[in-house]
Amino acid sequence: MSALRGRFNSAAGFLDLARRAWRRSTRFRAGSLLVAAMVAMAVLGPYVAPYPSDGWGLVPRNAAERAGKPPCPEFPFGTDNLGRDVLSRVLVGARLALLQIALVVSVSLALGLFVGVCAAYYRGPVEALLNYAAEVFLALPAMVIALALRLALGQGFHVVVTSLILSWWPWYARSSYVYARAVVEMEYVLLARLAGVPDRTVLLRHVVVNVLPPVLVQAITDLGSVLLEASAINFLGLGLPPDAPDWGIVVQNGFKYIVSMPWVSMFPGAFILATALGFSLVGDSLREEMDPKMRRRWKLWF
Amino acid sequence: MPLSLNYLVKRLLWSVAVLVGVVVFSYVVIILSPGDPAVKWAGNPRGPGAAKAVEEARRELGLDLPLHLQVLNFLKMVLTGDLGYSIAYRQPVFAVLTRNLAATLELLFAAYLIGVPLGSLLGVAAAMRRGGSVDGLLQTLGLALASTPTFWLGMAVFAVLFSAGFPAYGRVSTGLALATGFQAITGFYLLDALLQLNAPVFFDALARLLPPALAVAAYPTGLCLRLSRALVADALLEEYVRAAVAWGVKRRVVVWKYAFRAALPGLVQVAGTAFAYSLIDAMVVEYVFGREGLGRLLFDAIAFSDFKLAVGLLVLVAAFYLAVNTLADVAQALIDPRVRL
Repeated sequence: MSALRGRFNSAAGFLDLARRAWRRSTRFRAGSLLVAAMVAMAVLGPYVAPYPSDGWGLVPRNAAERAGKPPCPEFPFGTDNLGRDVLSRVLVGARLALLQIALVVSVSLALGLFVGVCAAYYRGPVEALLNYAAEVFLALPAMVIALALRLALGQGFHVVVTSLILSWWPWYARSSYVYARAVVEMEYVLLARLAGVPDRTVLLRHVVVNVLPPVLVQAITDLGSVLLEASAINFLGLGLPPDAPDWGIVVQNGFKYIVSMPWVSMFPGAFILATALGFSLVGDSLREEMDPKMRRRWKLWF
Repeated sequence: MPLSLNYLVKRLLWSVAVLVGVVVFSYVVIILSPGDPAVKWAGNPRGPGAAKAVEEARRELGLDLPLHLQVLNFLKMVLTGDLGYSIAYRQPVFAVLTRNLAATLELLFAAYLIGVPLGSLLGVAAAMRRGGSVDGLLQTLGLALASTPTFWLGMAVFAVLFSAGFPAYGRVSTGLALATGFQAITGFYLLDALLQLNAPVFFDALARLLPPALAVAAYPTGLCLRLSRALVADALLEEYVRAAVAWGVKRRVVVWKYAFRAALPGLVQVAGTAFAYSLIDAMVVEYVFGREGLGRLLFDAIAFSDFKLAVGLLVLVAAFYLAVNTLADVAQALIDPRVRL
């Protein structure tokens, strides 16, 4: 069962996997530190920001004398054209970034898992219909869904989150479908069904438990990709309104001044990069640790 | 007989079916939007004749029919290439899209011509040094390239070039194009300049194409680096590689002819999917560099509330995804005989 290699079956098993990865992989350690820093910023951001009201997007009263300052001790990341402290905007923005990606990934994971497992378990027309729906949404990137929703519903948090969920759930549906197909062929599933265990119990106890681990590890990597897409949508003005405390929006605020005040866009963009990189490093090294074939340290033949 | 016709026909029918789903989805989103399109179509009429005018507009737009008939009518239009009339451009949407597609494709092709070979090469280099510090560095580089926000990278490239005195704005210098009598034939400016043997425009267009192409290339480079590293590293552990080495086959031949050949089908498949999604990246970078193309249509669609144009973009992007994936599957079948069965 190559699809089921190296699974873990409980939260303790997952912690064990993470501990092993921490011991063996420098990249995992680097990635977890980046992610931890991001989470700390999301929790503490508004409290440690030097100018919290700037962070929320309000223009300060003495805007004229503060506008367009390059990085200096008073404003470590400089100020934008309206005199707002960029460091505060970045710190306050972390929470919204984390909220967006956590919401998108958890909802699409739940939806995709449900669809994929049902398709693999019930087969027949259910399988065909669900796979077709997944294929339709695979063909639509989040950006164009966001465009349609932006026109239909106007700007807002719901536009970013809905468009991203619509474009991400089929990935989870597809991979959980592949894993679940392998699991439902197992004899213990057949025996459970023959013994008269209700479908719901078989699905939860036997199928989902075995499908979840690899999909969950994939989801960690995806947190970074979703952040990239969410900030691109917000950057283009398809999602959150202007001046919202979001990193993509802050990059957009500095767009017109990219030559005269590069710091306004460069710092928040660097935080997007660092966060996405952190999640990819963690997800990637966990996957490597789960797969015994990738773990072996053989000498090459030459 | 490299590919069965049966397989191709099946793929094509499936793509059409998926496209139908996309069209239905976009129509439903528009129907759900607040505001009556019939009122807008009638030009927000007021006064005693308003109700009648709206009623007429509704009949004209086919909105008085039941929902399933509306969707069916819309499907019929789309499948015959009629995407309606763009309010923003006062032209058929189909013409607007095709005119702008070439510009975006040119950028996308340039990016992939840079990214895929570069990424694969670095990936093979990493795989040959498996477990070493160079391997670790290259793998982290691959992740970093794939984790870079494209719009931000594009802005950085633009700012650096601007400060150095090379403003890479737009597709071609208008003055130069007028002075040399340059005409767009295919819409791919590099190709057009070559066809007209117009060297100044060719180099000007190339100089304006390369910076945004580099920004778009970051993602495919990182992706191909990681993927070819993983696939080639796996292949290098296979028995046939050991046998070849034992036979005394040259190292370069073993790596490229045996290991990389084994990695190629997987690389083609993933690079194909990524190519389809990079269309979006290209659109964003076009906006950053002020180039014409599909990216600009995104903003025009919002500015003019141009639903028809938005639906056209949705259908175009989905059709592009389906076409590229079908091509990637065919290419994979040509490379990897096992898939053909």
